[in-house]
Formats: sequence, C-alpha cells, structure tokens
Amino acid sequence: MPGMINHMGRLLFILVLAVPLAGFAAAPEKVLHLALSAAETGFDPVMTSDLNTASIEQQLFESLLTYDYLARPARLVPRLAADMPTVTDHGRTWVFRLKHGVYFAPDPVFKGARREAVAQDVIYTLMRFMDPKNRSPYKFLVEGKIIGLDELAEAARRSGHFDYDAKIPGLEALDRYTLRVRLKTTDYNFAHAMAQPMYGIVAREVIEAYAGDTASHPVGTGPYHLARWVRSARMVLERNPYFRHETWNFEPGDDPDNRRIAALMRGKTIPQIDRIDIQVIEEPQSVWLSFGKGELDMVGLAGQFAPLALQGDHLRPKYAARGIRLDRISDPSIAYYFINQQDPVLGGMSPEKIALRRAIFMAQNDEEMIRVIDKGQAIRNAYPIPAGVAGADPGYRSVLDYNPELANRLLDQTGYARGPDGYRRMPDGSPLAVRYTSSLSSQDRELDEMMKKALDRLSIRFESEKLKFPEILKAERQCHVQIRLSAWIADYPDGDNFMQLWYGPHTHENNASCYQDPQWDRLYERTLTVPDSPERNALYHQLARMLELKGVTKVSTTHIRNVLSQPWVLGFKPHPILPSVWAYLDIDTARAPRE
Amino acid sequence: MNLGAFLIRRLWQMIPTLLGVVLLVFFLFNWVGGDPAYILAGKMANPDDIANIRHQLGIDRPLWEQLLIFVQQIVTGDFGNSWATQEPVSAIFRTRLGPSLILLIPMMLLETAVAVAVALAVSAWRGSTLDRSLMAVSTVMMSISLLVYIIVGQYVFAYLLGWFPVKGWSDEFWRNLTTYAVLPVLLGLMVSIAPSVRLYRTFVLDEIGQDYVRTARAKGLSETRVLLVHVLRNAAIPIVTNVLMGLPALLTGAFLLERFFAIPGIGREIILAVERSDFPIIKAATVYVAMATMLANLLGDLLYHWLDPRVHLE
Repeated sequence: MPGMINHMGRLLFILVLAVPLAGFAAAPEKVLHLALSAAETGFDPVMTSDLNTASIEQQLFESLLTYDYLARPARLVPRLAADMPTVTDHGRTWVFRLKHGVYFAPDPVFKGARREAVAQDVIYTLMRFMDPKNRSPYKFLVEGKIIGLDELAEAARRSGHFDYDAKIPGLEALDRYTLRVRLKTTDYNFAHAMAQPMYGIVAREVIEAYAGDTASHPVGTGPYHLARWVRSARMVLERNPYFRHETWNFEPGDDPDNRRIAALMRGKTIPQIDRIDIQVIEEPQSVWLSFGKGELDMVGLAGQFAPLALQGDHLRPKYAARGIRLDRISDPSIAYYFINQQDPVLGGMSPEKIALRRAIFMAQNDEEMIRVIDKGQAIRNAYPIPAGVAGADPGYRSVLDYNPELANRLLDQTGYARGPDGYRRMPDGSPLAVRYTSSLSSQDRELDEMMKKALDRLSIRFESEKLKFPEILKAERQCHVQIRLSAWIADYPDGDNFMQLWYGPHTHENNASCYQDPQWDRLYERTLTVPDSPERNALYHQLARMLELKGVTKVSTTHIRNVLSQPWVLGFKPHPILPSVWAYLDIDTARAPRE
Repeated sequence: MNLGAFLIRRLWQMIPTLLGVVLLVFFLFNWVGGDPAYILAGKMANPDDIANIRHQLGIDRPLWEQLLIFVQQIVTGDFGNSWATQEPVSAIFRTRLGPSLILLIPMMLLETAVAVAVALAVSAWRGSTLDRSLMAVSTVMMSISLLVYIIVGQYVFAYLLGWFPVKGWSDEFWRNLTTYAVLPVLLGLMVSIAPSVRLYRTFVLDEIGQDYVRTARAKGLSETRVLLVHVLRNAAIPIVTNVLMGLPALLTGAFLLERFFAIPGIGREIILAVERSDFPIIKAATVYVAMATMLANLLGDLLYHWLDPRVHLE
C-alpha cells in the first residue's frame, strides 16, 4: 500500500509538472517576416552607411541614446545610458551615466562568462570611428569635435597604428559606468550622434578577436542577436538571451493612435517577438505579391504599387477589409534641385546668371513631378528643412514656385534672346544649353523627360549626362555637375543636418552646388552656436531665402512613406528617424498564419 | 596527334587568350568602371577620406602595379575580399554558385531534351501544319522578353493560382529543386527553348536529306531508328557545340530570375558588384567565365572526336 501511495504521488508530481510545461511548449513562436529592398553590407556598425544594414544593427547593438517610439517630433531618450546626459559648458561637456547590468550577447570570445557593457566600451567604440583603417562613413559625427581624438587619428595615419590605449582629454571614464566627453566647440547636436545605430557599443575583445572579419560577428547588447545569416539573402534574428528586463512603457500623450498602441502594448516585456526572419527581396513586385499572400508581415509600399493599394490617402477597401493597416508618414527628407555655382555656364553671381538659374527653377513643375515620378506619394515642400525636423517652417512661401510665364519674362529681361532656331542664347549671343546629370535607372530616365519639358518651356536646349551613381558622386564632389535633382534624408532630426548642405567649407564634400558665400557661411556658423529656438529658426529662414534669391537651390518635395502591416502585427507606428522598431512590436499568434 | 599532346597544346594556347581577357577587363574597368571610393565613403566624406579609401583599396597605385596584382590573383586563385562587404570573393562564388546551378542546370537539361525531341518530331513532318505552327509559336515565344514572362508568370501562377511560392529559398537542395526552382525554371524555359528548337530543327533537316539517311531507310530501318541513331548522331555535333557554348553562362547565373524570386545566386551578386564598382568580384567573374569558355571549347573538340571518329584532333 505505501508503495502504491508512493507510485501515485510520483504520478501526481509528474502530472503537476507536465500540465504547465505542456502549455508552455504549445505556446506558438512569434515570428516576424520582413523583406529588405537591398542586400545588407555586413554588421560592423563602424563601417555601415546604408539604411537596410542599419535597420538590423538597430536591433543588435545599442547606442547611448535613442528616440522615443511614439513622440513626434522625434525626441531623444536614454537607451544604454541610464538617463539623459548632463550638458555643461555651453554644450561642450557631456556626461553620460550607463545603465548597470547591461550585457553583450553571448559569444565564444567571452568564454562562457557574461560580459557587461561599461564606459570604457563606449570610449573604444567612439575611437573606432576615427581609426583610418575602418574608413567609417559616419565618422563625420565625431570628427573635429572631441578633444584629442583627431590628433590620435592623425598619429594613426602617420604610424599606421591607432593607439586605442591612449588617454585623451575628450574621452574619460570617470568610473565604470560614467563617461565624460569634452568637445572642442559648442555642439548641441552631439546627443543625436550618440543616438545613431552606427554608434552602437561594441566590445574591444570581440573586435580584436575577429579582426578582418568583424562584419560577420556582430556582438552587441541589443534585444536580438544574429542567429543565422545567408549573405545577401536571409538574416534571422533571435532574442538576445542576456537582454535585460525592460517593459514597453512609452507615453502615448493625446494622440488617439498612440493611445490605441499603448493599450495593446503597455507593460509587455521587450522584445515580444521571438524571431525576426528577414529576406532580401529586391523586386517590388515580389514584395507586393508576398505580402498579398501573407508571407510577409510588414512592407514599405513601393511607389509603383501605391495606385494599386491606395485610394487617395487611404487603403483600398478590399485590403482594409482584410484587416491590413496602412501607416503613412512624411519622411524627414527633401528632394532638391541644385545648380553648380562654379559652372562656367550657369554659375556666378552676376544678375543675369542669377536670373537664369531662378528661371530654370521656376520652370520645374513640382506637382507634375509628384504625380508622375512619385505616383502621388510626396508632398510639395519648399523649405530646406522638412517637417518633423527641428527648424522646419511649414508656412514658408517659396519665391521659386512653378511659374513658367514669369521665368520666361525674367529671361527676356536679362538678355537671353531666342535665336533663329527658337532656342535661347546667352546674353553675349553664344549658344546656351543646360546639361542635366542623372543615373542610368529607369526612374532617372523619367526625370530626364521632366527636365527636358521644363527647359522646353523656357526654350533652352537640354543636354543629358548619364553617369553611374559613383561617378555622379565623384562629379558632384569635383564641382563638375551642372544641374541635378538630389535628395537628402535626415541622419538626425535637426535642421543643421540639412542646412550644412550649402556650407562653403563643405564644397568637395556634400555641398554639391559648390556654393561659397561668406555672408551665408557666417550666418550658418551663427546657427551652430544657438540651440533649437525661435532665434535659430529665424536664422534658418534667412539662409533658406538667400539660397532661393541667389538661385542656388530649389527644394521640391518631401517623400511620403507608406507602410502596410498584416492584422496580426501589433503596436506598429512608423518612426521618422529610427531605421527599425521591431523590438517594440508584438504578434497576435491567434491570427497569424502558422509557420 | 595523340590526346596528351593535343591537350598540352590547347592548354598552352589558353594563356595568351587569358592574358588578352585580363588586359581588356583591367583597362575597361579602369576606364569606365567608376570609383568605388565615392560610394564607400558615405554621405559626408571629404577628399582625405576618399584618398584614404583609395589607398586602402590600392586603386591609387600605378596602373602597372595594379595589373601585376591582378595577374598574381589569377595565378594564386585568390581575388581577395569584396570592397563593399569585405566578404572573400572565393566565399561569394562558393556560396552563390549553388543556387544558380540549381536553376540553370535543370533549365539547360530540359531545354536541350525538349528542343531536340521537338526538332526531331517536326522534322519528320517538315512543312506540315504542325511544323509551321510550332515554328510560329517559337518565333512568338522568343519575341517576348523574359521580364514579361516573369512578371506575368509570378503573378498568375504563384499569386493568383498559388501553384508555386512567390519567392524564396531554403537550405535543402531537394526542397529548392522541387519547390522554389520550379517556376523560375519553367519561365526561363519559355524564352530559351524557342531559339534552340528552331536551331536544332535546322541541324536535323540538314542531315535528313543526306544520302546515308536514304540508304538507312532503303535498308528498311524504322523511322525512329533512322532519326534517333543515324540523324541524331550526325546532328549531335552542332547541338553539342551549342550546349557547350552555353556552359560558361552557368557561372554568371540568371540575374532576372534570381532577383524576382529572391534566389541568392551569383547573377544577382555580379550585377550588384557592377553597380557598386566592386572590382574584385568583377575581375573574378570575368576570369572564371573566360576560363570556362576556353575549357568548354576544349571539351567540345574532344566530344566531336568521340561522336565522330572522322574528326581528327590537331
């Protein structure tokens, strides 16, 4: 009998254990299926320059700061930092305190031990950007800023070796978790630099162990780690087992959509999704059809499919009926025409050259461009700083709006008479032709047509220069492009990131119009010493007006981003700056198709 | 000439041909290839950054030195790393060639088998309605772009009818071959099979009027035996030539099919390398294709000899 009781007891014990375990085992895995529109380039943040790669690194690595998921306009919040930095000395000294108990994802380099992220890791990470060997595309965010760092880089250029053990006054670990950064000059945007995914913190021993192949060994403190990688084809991210306990607690404010999201997500542990399965799918048709079949959970709607999916600003009823969600957001970007100010035909500051440039800009029909090129997925924006970026001016009235009549009058008055062939000539009677530079893509062929139409309106002869993209960049930096439509998307949501595009000393860098005007440059330099304020906005307004009046640039449009998500994706809201927000989402497994 | 001497002579002849290819590729790339430093430098690079990248890639060295390195790479078989992703070029070819071959080998086998069968069949009824109809269909099929087949085929057969996956690839050979590669292979065949049918039909018709065919028929051989044994054997030489000339293309993948069906093949990688001015990948691909072409020619000559002993190796 006692034996039987023992036996029954064991059975009961097994049953008690088995019931919850069975329930646990049955819990379906939450998987998010996504597509990248272009192949990734490798996962060493210091070498990253493309958005697709950055979107994955955002989940693998953590920068000191980040942007609040729901707040609009984008607002900085701590990520690896315990709180917002203390800024003193007119924006020249920044003290960051790190969270305790933040661990890197497991890696053989750590030999089974947990490796905590500390202030020295941040110093090492920042130093890497200036190591010439790393040729980092994002070093501009620290270059010329941190006391002693440029000198260290210069020494490395001479010796061929970057001294990571050197102590520099600009980067000091005050204790294990506190970092003091001292800048050469006032920089109110330094916090934005520390929120870039490329500035995700790495561990020195990992980088040194995988030297030469660091792009294949991403080890960060982010919510996910790279579990599987088929280069240029597929990436699988899985939860980082060492990720700290964090809960979803973003403040929704008064926005009803934010409130809906907060009601679904508040209090949940971050991340909720177990696995993120990302495929590289370059063709928009394949992405669109895969989403239609439910094989992808979220997609950015490509321009050519917008007419199929949207009716005006809304989703077509047949998709809405399936529970598919549409989220629209105006990108922090601008598309702008620029004219090379050093070009022998179009450049120069004489009244007739300024008139010619302004006439060319006024002949550009922005509404037609939105309709034909952007398929309606853009808005007219004449200001160099787009909406949602600090310094934007939604009420700005351009003096270069589409007006071919006025443009022709301006040319008539300044001596650009029509020749016997019907085309205008220079005031001295020499031939006039405008050379428009574009790439070999199909969209750029359409843009060529648009520019030809614009110049035909003015009876100006059109010439096309077709170059491969690297050659366009080279020609721009050598001030060889005459006129082009270019685009810029915010690295961080501050007007400076846009206004620097016309700063004289940035000629041969990214001042493609090669505009060098001491008056403009002095005004711009004043904006750098002032934090985001009405005073700085007034300066920006003056700068923008000068660009138009002197015929340097015409800002044309801002792109609209449309994101479609399946009904089982919970908590999604597109973010203007963060390249990915996957850790803040959830999947309703009851509605999602089974794997 | 014995086989060994023939092989040595032909392999020796490949060296100057390969050198010609090397010179052509090298100077073409340096002339029109674009400067990758401007892409790698990112959005806000200064001239020093560009110079630093050019130095690291070695493209600031004298041309003769760069050419020497290229030759050294061919000799050692080590083309270094991709400039854009740092991935070793050898790894790129090792990992991306498999998916491309899973597409292209079945496509080539099916194309050859079907085209030869159709060519033999229609030649038996030369001038008939069937023959004329098939030729007309072939002309229409080859006049339509592969892009159209892919866009329509993917939409109708994968999306609307759901017979195939819209896109995808797995780690399993069999699953890839029987699930993911089926639609791309069929769509590829729509374009490639028609020219082969027309070409092979011509080869067969050239043979079918020969005296030996009349003799075979006069001996009372069945039409099937005449076609399959006598005609096909003699038509095989140009057919083999055509198939072998297609072999090097296996190394360059099928860019459009790979791109639309998200297949991680070598075709996509080569186009991406061209867009990024990623010279190490372009160099390797060009050299591999040149070598494969020369080897395919050599193989062709050996097969001619095997198919028709009257052909002498000289």
